[in-house]
Amino acid sequence: MSTLAKEYTDLDRALDEVRSVLKEWYNEQAPSSSPSSETLRYTQLVLHEWIANLLQHGDFGHRTPAIEIRLKTENRHVACAVIDNSTGFDFDERLPSRDEVMDELPERGMGLRIINACTDTVSYLPTDSGYYRFEFSIPADHDPWLSMLF
Amino acid sequence: MSFDVESLSSETVVVHMGEALDFRNADSFKSTFQAHVEDGVRNFILDFSETEVLDSTGLGSIFSLYREISPDDGKVAFADVSRPVQVVVQLTRTYKVFRQFPSVQAAKEALA
Repeated sequence: MSTLAKEYTDLDRALDEVRSVLKEWYNEQAPSSSPSSETLRYTQLVLHEWIANLLQHGDFGHRTPAIEIRLKTENRHVACAVIDNSTGFDFDERLPSRDEVMDELPERGMGLRIINACTDTVSYLPTDSGYYRFEFSIPADHDPWLSMLF
Repeated sequence: MSFDVESLSSETVVVHMGEALDFRNADSFKSTFQAHVEDGVRNFILDFSETEVLDSTGLGSIFSLYREISPDDGKVAFADVSRPVQVVVQLTRTYKVFRQFPSVQAAKEALA
């Protein structure tokens, strides 16, 4: 099992760094246990969409925004958590249901759907310590084509 | 951030998309294409050869371009699509809407 932990108080910087950090981490993995390059790309995309979501819509009150990214891989499976100090929101309420028809070629509202399509399990819940925890997993054999956007 | 635009004719341009099209520069992309649409450009070749990030807002801005030019029979073509962009294209089935070409040159020849 390999783990990665990074903390940021500058979400803009986090957005720029996360790809290079993930690539560096990926290159250090033993080939036999390393996630596939496709799984890594889904992970990058989900993290980008999530951090972008926090940057655009997160309510941090008077606090300096802070996130901690924890990522681990075992047997080519990826599990990731992003803990933040925002006031959170109801993820399940915001996530459109899979059978909800989208507008044709929408300009907004695709981010959570992309996250959902790229992941096997996903949640955003408060923690006992007063933070919010976004958690997702991507198995080695994940097939996003089962939950296409359109 | 501005986008590097190469004019091929009065109706066709190549937009070199650079490293990222995301929520931070989507408005800049829209301003860029808007200026060219007002000048009569109807065909846009988007060069994704160097693009590491295409997020949902960036994709939405491309949809916006398409909606604007398609009533005038305009075209948006994707060229030299990088792997990170291809993941988004496949997830969203965008390949059904935008023709893809292996290189900018191939797109130029097809749209000439």
